Amino acid sequence: MLRTTALTAVIAAALAGSVTAQENDTLVVGMSGGYFPFTFVNQNELQGFEVDVMNAVGEEAGLDIEFETMSFSGLVGALETGRIDTIANQITITPEREAKFAFTQPYVIDGAQVVTREGNDEVAGVESLRGKTVAVNLGSNFEQLLRELPFADEIDIRTYESNIEQDTALGRVDAFVMDRVSSAQVIKESPLPLQLAGAPFSEIRNALPFRNDEDGQAMRDRVDAALTALREDGTLTEISEKWFDSDITTAE
Amino acid sequence: MRALDLDYMLGLVPVILSYVPLTLFMAVVAMILALILASFLAIERVFPVPVLDWLVMLFISFFRGTPLLVQLFLFYYGLPQVMSFLTQINGVTAAIMGLTLHFSAYMAESIRAAITGVDRSQWEAARSIGMTQWQMMRRIILPQAARVAAPTLVNYFIDMIKSTSLAFTLGVTEMMGAAQKEAAGSFLYFEAFLVVAVIYWIIVELLSQGQKRLETYLNRAYAR
Repeated sequence: MLRTTALTAVIAAALAGSVTAQENDTLVVGMSGGYFPFTFVNQNELQGFEVDVMNAVGEEAGLDIEFETMSFSGLVGALETGRIDTIANQITITPEREAKFAFTQPYVIDGAQVVTREGNDEVAGVESLRGKTVAVNLGSNFEQLLRELPFADEIDIRTYESNIEQDTALGRVDAFVMDRVSSAQVIKESPLPLQLAGAPFSEIRNALPFRNDEDGQAMRDRVDAALTALREDGTLTEISEKWFDSDITTAE
Repeated sequence: MRALDLDYMLGLVPVILSYVPLTLFMAVVAMILALILASFLAIERVFPVPVLDWLVMLFISFFRGTPLLVQLFLFYYGLPQVMSFLTQINGVTAAIMGLTLHFSAYMAESIRAAITGVDRSQWEAARSIGMTQWQMMRRIILPQAARVAAPTLVNYFIDMIKSTSLAFTLGVTEMMGAAQKEAAGSFLYFEAFLVVAVIYWIIVELLSQGQKRLETYLNRAYAR
């Protein structure tokens, strides 16, 4: 969608109605396009760890992968209503989501991480968030994790569609909570003055969710088999090394 | 105060420019549809039809009385929950629909004011030479009303172009959405949003020049 010229894509889409998801060998993959380095845009080119993984899955399973970008909080709704077939956006497996969707095997093992402005030593991990303002992405699992903390009512949780790193760097909030690997990557690659605060406080497993119906499960099985193959032949590790200089696709 | 990354901004210009056609596409389609709808609404308000008149007033009241962003969210995220066939509507279509309904309510009012603003003597003169209602509207009233309404309608079109930026909240990658995504990878927010702002500004300036020419043209019969 992003690679074709915007106009032709739009006119085609406007005339044909939206892409109907689940056409035999097409897999419509939803992502935010705003979650560095998993899914982001540079010079109109959608790229990142998720993009590489899905392209490899498509090649392995013989599927045409079509990427649809939309705001993060709209992704789950789009999956439910069939606008997209799956979400490649570090979707963490939670009991609530498992009740609703059919997940593949986890392809990223990660942890929840508190990040604060560089030099702010008042924030040194999840315990020190009492009485602080903390930014999280709206509808993300990290929002859930924060709300489940025993002292959640003492934290001022602010939900955002995007730009949580920027607001923390500007000092508008005391910290943000995101996954460990992208936090480390943002600190390394971006010009923003940020630092990790303490150790990861919760292990999270991320997978691809599909609709829990016959077609959805069939597609899930196909993609899951492809993930197994990519894990065995080292492709997943290779993609992970490319983006993170380490293997985030297996448990330690 | 850090220095601006000018190279990055220059590199971003063609990227954002490639979304200008999409922005104009949404605005032009919505403008055409809104003009048609607004004309019907305005003519109904000038020659009221019982019951229908009440519905038209309700329509205009709602779409002028609620924010465009709320209307867009109602269409795109809200309505599909109660009418499942609406899930087939994509973001671009929803944005065009929202812009059409929202702006047609405003435009209907300015067209109505322009029609009723045509001097009474003109109506009477048209009737006295035996014109039908339709002939009178088409030949005498509407051409004069158009002259009065045109500048306002161009203003609404300019407003509409800028309002298409809200489509990014429906997941449409247009100029604003593209800038937001580029910034998410580079973290150079100021540069990305500045490029977008300047490009919008240039588009609107070009249109304002066109607006001046159009006014001169429409006023040619009145030029002394």
